[in-house]
Amino acid sequence: MDEMVEFLHQGMLSLIKRWGTKWSIWPTHLVTACCGVELAHAFASGYDGERLGVLNFGMARQTNCIVVEGAITRKMARILKITYEQMPDPKFVIVMGVCGIKGGLFWNGYHMVKPYEVVPVKYFAPGCPPTPESLLRCFRALQDEITTGVGKNTISFQSSKPSGEVKKRKRPKRVPPSPKYIAKNPSVIVDVERVEKWEDGEEIRREIEEILGDLAESVKITGKNRISVRIGVENFFDAGLRLKESGFDHVKSVNIVDVPHEGKFIVEYVVSSYLNERYVSLLLTLISEIDRVDAHFPSMIEVWQSADYLERELHDLFGVWFDGNPGMGRNFLIAPDTPKNPLRKDFKIPQDVYVGGV
Amino acid sequence: MAESALFVLVEKILETLTSNMVSIPLIDPLIKMLMKIPAVNVIVAFVLWKPIFHVLILPGLLGLTLVLLFMIYFERKITARVQWRVGPKEVSRRTGGVIQALADGMRYLFQEVIVHRDAHGFYFLQFPLISFLPVLLPLLFIPAGSVWGIRSVYAIPIALALISLIPVFIIGMGWASNNKFAFIGSVREAFMYFAYEIPLLIAFLAMILLYQTADPFEIVERQSIPGILLNPLAFLAIFISILIATSRLPFDIPEADQEVAFGPYVEYSGIVFGLVMSLPYEKLYLLSLLSVILFFGGWKGPEIPLLGDLAPVLWIFIKAVIFMCVVALARSIYARYRLDQTLKMSWSVLITLSFASLLLSAGWLAWLGL
Repeated sequence: MDEMVEFLHQGMLSLIKRWGTKWSIWPTHLVTACCGVELAHAFASGYDGERLGVLNFGMARQTNCIVVEGAITRKMARILKITYEQMPDPKFVIVMGVCGIKGGLFWNGYHMVKPYEVVPVKYFAPGCPPTPESLLRCFRALQDEITTGVGKNTISFQSSKPSGEVKKRKRPKRVPPSPKYIAKNPSVIVDVERVEKWEDGEEIRREIEEILGDLAESVKITGKNRISVRIGVENFFDAGLRLKESGFDHVKSVNIVDVPHEGKFIVEYVVSSYLNERYVSLLLTLISEIDRVDAHFPSMIEVWQSADYLERELHDLFGVWFDGNPGMGRNFLIAPDTPKNPLRKDFKIPQDVYVGGV
Repeated sequence: MAESALFVLVEKILETLTSNMVSIPLIDPLIKMLMKIPAVNVIVAFVLWKPIFHVLILPGLLGLTLVLLFMIYFERKITARVQWRVGPKEVSRRTGGVIQALADGMRYLFQEVIVHRDAHGFYFLQFPLISFLPVLLPLLFIPAGSVWGIRSVYAIPIALALISLIPVFIIGMGWASNNKFAFIGSVREAFMYFAYEIPLLIAFLAMILLYQTADPFEIVERQSIPGILLNPLAFLAIFISILIATSRLPFDIPEADQEVAFGPYVEYSGIVFGLVMSLPYEKLYLLSLLSVILFFGGWKGPEIPLLGDLAPVLWIFIKAVIFMCVVALARSIYARYRLDQTLKMSWSVLITLSFASLLLSAGWLAWLGL
C-alpha cells in the first residue's frame, strides 16, 4: 500500500474518504502522443468513462489523477513532474501506451525517459495505442485498489503446452549477430554518378559548371533532377553567393554524414529554386568535407536565410560549429540535460545499451 | 432567584418562538411529543421558527445544498444524454447516479488545499468564505408564502443589490490568486458584469413598474395571470441576463476551462474549489427564485392541507428547480460566445430588449388606466 492509498484508509472517516475518491477520479491528461486519441474515445459516446464517475479534465489543480499518454521525452519529463506536483494529495498516475513502459517505438532513444522514474505510477495500460477498454480497466483497477488497498494485475495469461502429436524438435534458429557498431572500412560515397537515370540533364549540368567555374571540384548527375557538386570548405561561401545570384534562392535541407573511421564529417546543403523556372524541379546538393575533431564550417545564413534553423539543429545533434550563425553554443531543440552530440556515431547512450553488443 | 430568572427567560423565548412556528399537520403529533421534552423543545421551536426555518431549511441553506447537488448532477447527465452518452451512473446504479455530485464533494473535502507561494494567502482563503454573505443575505428577503425572513416593501431591489455584490468577490479571488489566467478571468468577469447588470436591472424595473410594487407578497397576490404572459420581453431579457450572470455555457467566458482554465478559480483546490465553483449555481438559484416570483406566480399552487405552511415553500422551490433545469439545458446545446460578441450583444440587443420591456409595461399601465 503506498502513501496515497494509505491516507484514504486512515482515520474515522476513511469510509467516506474511500467512497468519495473511488467514485470521483478526475484525470487530467498529458497528451504527448497518439494515445490521446484513444483517451478521447474512452470518454466519448461509445465507451463513456463518465459512467464510472471519471470526468475528463483539463486542469491539474482541481484533479486527483493524471493520465500520461505516450512517450515522455526529457523535456516533457520536467513538465510531467511539475504537473504532478501541482495536484493536491491524494493523487494517482496512470500510464497509457507502450511508450510509457519501456520506450516502445522509441526504445533506447537518447531522449527517452521512463515515466515511472519521474512519478509513482499506479497502473500501466499497454498497447500501441491501448484500446479504450483497457484504459477504463485501469480506472476500475484503481477504484478497486482504493476500496481494498491491494493493487492487482487485471489480466494474467495462461500458459499451456500443446497436446497431441509432438513434433520433432528442430534446432533453434540462431539469431544472426547484430551489425557491428562501427564497420571496419565502409566506403561512404554520397555522390555516385548515375547519368543513365537522367540523360537530358547534361545541359543543366554544364550550366551549373559554368556558374561555379573553378570553385567546383566535381559536378555529377546522381539521379533524375539531382545534381551533386563537391566544393572545398574555403570556397563554399563564394559558391553559395554565385548560386544565389543565378536563381537558387533557398535551402531545402542541411545534412551531415558522420564518418568516424576517416575522421571527417560530410556536410550537404540541398538547394533549389522557386523563382527560376529552369531550376524549379532541380535539387542541387553541395557537398563538402570537414575535419571531425575541429568541426567548423562557414554558416550560409547570409546567403540563404532558410539554413538558419537547420544549422542550429545540426549543431545540437553533431556539434559542428557553423561560424557566423548566432545560435551556436547553446541548445536549440534538445533539452538542456540531454547528452551532447547524440547523433555522432561514437555516441554512447548512458543506460540500457545493448544495441550492437561490444 | 437566578435559576428562576433563567427559567422565565427560557419561557419567554419559547413563547416568542412558538407563536410564529411553521405548522405542518403531517408531522404535528411528532412535534407535540418533542415539545413536551425540556431543552429539546427549545431546539425544535428554534428550527421551526419561521425566519430560521426559511434561512436554514427551505428555501434556505438545506434547499440550496440540495439544489447544488442536484443541479451539478443534472447538468452532467443532461449533457451526457444530449451527446448520446449515459453520464454518471455506476455510483448508484438504481437511481442513475444521482449522488454523483455528493461523491465529488466528499472527494474535494478530503483533498489537500494548496495555497501557492505567489498568492495573497489571507485574501485567497478569505474571499471564498465571505462570498457566502451576498449569497445567504438575499435569501432573507425572498419570501415563500407565509414563511419569510425579513418582510420589506423593497425586498426585490434589496435582494438584487446584494446579489450584484457576488462578482466583486469573484474579481477579488482572481486578484488574490496572482496568476495570469486568474487575472484574465477576472478582467473578463468585470467586463461581463457591466454588460449584463444594466439590462437585468432595467428588466426587473419593468416588472416592478407593471405590478406597481416591489413587495413580493403584493406581486404574487396581483398575478391572476402569470407575469410571463404580461411581459414576455422582460422575461426574455432576464433569462438571457441570468445566463450571462451565472456563467452558463453560451456565456461562460470568465471561467472558460479550455481557454483560461477556470479563470479566477484556477488556483483553488480541494474543498475551497468546491465552495467557489458553487457560487454561480447559488447565484442562479437566487435569480431563479426571483424570476419565479415575478413571472410564474411565486408560491401559488394547489393547496395541500396535510403540508400546511410547507406547501407554498415546496411550490416555489419546485418551480425554481424546474426553471434552473431549463437554464442548465443551455449548457449542452450551445457553443461558447467570444467576449467581444457577448459584450456587443448585451450592449446593443439585450439593453434594447430591456428598454422595450419597460415600454411594454408602461403601455399596459396606460391601457389599463392605472
